[in-house]
Amino acid sequence: MPTLVFRALYDYRDLLFAWTGRIVRARYQQSILGGLWAIVQPAATVAIFTVLFTRFLRVDTGGTPYILFSYAAMVPWTLFSASITDMVESLVTNMNLVTRIYFPRDILVIAALLARLVDFAIAFSILIVLLALYQAAVNLPGLLLLPALLAIQLALALGIGLIGAAINVFYRDVKHLVALGLQIWLYATPIIYPATLVPEHLRGVYFLNPMAGVIQGYRAVLLGGDLHAPYLAVSVVAAALVLGFGFWFFKRMEHQFADVV
Amino acid sequence: MSEAVHFDHVSKRYRIGRPPLSLKNLLGGLRRRPETQERAQERAQQRYHWALRDVDFSLQPGQSLGIIGPNGAGKTTILKLLSKVTYPTSGRVAVNGRYSSLIELGAGFHPDLTGRENVYLNGIILGMRRAEIARRFDDIVQFAGIGQYLDTPVKRYSSGMYARLGFAVAAHVDPEVLIVDEVLAVGDMAFRRKCYDRMAQMIKNGTTLVLVTHDFSAVQRVTPRCLVMYRGQIAFDGPAPDATAEYSNILRKAAQARSDVPENGALSQMVMTHAAVIEGVKLLREDGTPAFTFVAGETVRVRMQLRFHEAAPAPIFACSLRQPDGQIVYDYTTGWAGVATPTFEPDSVAEVEFALTLNLVSGAYQLGVDLAYADLSCYYDRMVRAVDFVVVGRDGARGVADLQARFGVVHTAPAEPAPPGASLRADARAENLSVEISK
Repeated sequence: MPTLVFRALYDYRDLLFAWTGRIVRARYQQSILGGLWAIVQPAATVAIFTVLFTRFLRVDTGGTPYILFSYAAMVPWTLFSASITDMVESLVTNMNLVTRIYFPRDILVIAALLARLVDFAIAFSILIVLLALYQAAVNLPGLLLLPALLAIQLALALGIGLIGAAINVFYRDVKHLVALGLQIWLYATPIIYPATLVPEHLRGVYFLNPMAGVIQGYRAVLLGGDLHAPYLAVSVVAAALVLGFGFWFFKRMEHQFADVV
Repeated sequence: MSEAVHFDHVSKRYRIGRPPLSLKNLLGGLRRRPETQERAQERAQQRYHWALRDVDFSLQPGQSLGIIGPNGAGKTTILKLLSKVTYPTSGRVAVNGRYSSLIELGAGFHPDLTGRENVYLNGIILGMRRAEIARRFDDIVQFAGIGQYLDTPVKRYSSGMYARLGFAVAAHVDPEVLIVDEVLAVGDMAFRRKCYDRMAQMIKNGTTLVLVTHDFSAVQRVTPRCLVMYRGQIAFDGPAPDATAEYSNILRKAAQARSDVPENGALSQMVMTHAAVIEGVKLLREDGTPAFTFVAGETVRVRMQLRFHEAAPAPIFACSLRQPDGQIVYDYTTGWAGVATPTFEPDSVAEVEFALTLNLVSGAYQLGVDLAYADLSCYYDRMVRAVDFVVVGRDGARGVADLQARFGVVHTAPAEPAPPGASLRADARAENLSVEISK
């Protein structure tokens, strides 16, 4: 089946890119800030937590300025969370196409994911500026790991997105459930606080969260620190499993989408 | 396999309503547990609707097929199966070669994107490669006739421009099999003709066409072969002219089925007193034989059977004629005619008649009749869609009304040099016009 999936994606690559372009262009059409909105979202969250955690509750970030500490994690998290939200909705918002024209339906889901990469790139460029400003201890050879980290989180997000999008066609509750889940997931991941806050004996469980390993990975590369390979291995395995199941599930459900009225 | 399209005993079942929430249901397609025959049947009858039953036909490359039938007959389901949007419950659907389906004009258009951007998007959705679209871009724009608005967001387009651009892209996909729904109904007359001309040309070039429509004249011109669908089954498969006649049979059956159900809606109930009721409406030829198919220009006698429960002083009778899309063709009342109707006694029956000259082009029509109080305050009874009938054109006349144009050459003579007065006349007209404007 995997070869079939990739074969179809390759055949429909024009559609995939055109649809991604449509989402990106439509998102910032008739908007004054345009692409800057990609920065506003993570920046606002970081600003809130910066005030909270530097004025009221001090957390130990190991000497890294808090704003840098949380923004470096918030940028990949925003990609993760926003892309899942978009993917889950991607089929339902385009039902008029799904019920009328044939194409592999996963195109819509993958395009929603790719479109968020544009936002990620914009937000990441600000991150680079911040890193330079604060003269962060960027692990230069470690930068080679960035694409891998990105791939892991994209695979995980896509797997969840495929499952969510498919079920959302039948039961719209999924959308709300996913929003709630992501909110909880944010706090279960070392984004606004360091993982060192988690009691030692709980860390084994804590790092079963595949995003924890990924976020720690980003921090290790960008701000310096240990990579904790075992944690990252958990992320890799989880992402692969979720993505594989996601595609399998989606392809099983795909033929029913157009019949749901 | 040489056929371009093959429906091999295809049936399609839809679920009615929402399935109960359970993981088993969600994954129901994975493993189906064996069910007892009776239980399965019982469930099937409760929750499923057969949109198609045992539909079987095939098309050779370059052949074209029209599909007509009342709403809910399964036409759209056939198109969806053809375009692989949905899959048959049983049987097999085969489409050989590249196909393009025009089930929705401008599929994937985004209102905020410009015409140019949407042409690419729509073309790619319909299965073209980017380079192909670039090559045909000028043709598409020219066909749509929207040149100067190319870089305007399509949300500022009129619905006509939107439809034109949508069809223009689809018409340039250059498929081996083209699948068209009655989307063309939106364009204006000139554009519709352009579309049908384009289809005819594509057939000539070897494209296989499947066209679903209400437009009888289109079927007769574009597709020599026609299917009549009724309740998910093929009621007729044959030459288009016979199909239109068969369609009237179908409509009669449909009308009978409908008369079992009380007329629709609370609104009509509200305004009807039923102090008198219309018990039946019949269409008769001039010689008194009942019929549902008429030749353009023929006179139809609309015979209404009435029963009066209470006295009805000088009621107003009305008849109206609609096209299937709801467009009123004709509406007339005894009030407008200045006809004085008698007072009908309580507990009496009566028959009244309208004679209508059907100066109409070929197509399906719906006749409605009303019986209203003399002061038009409310209705005794009304049937918005009492009878459906079909008019078969004598020639290729199109539009709504058959105005029975007579052609004659009035005068021929060798051309003379234009008299000096000719341009003067035009000037005079222009002057008149400017005078009117300045007033």
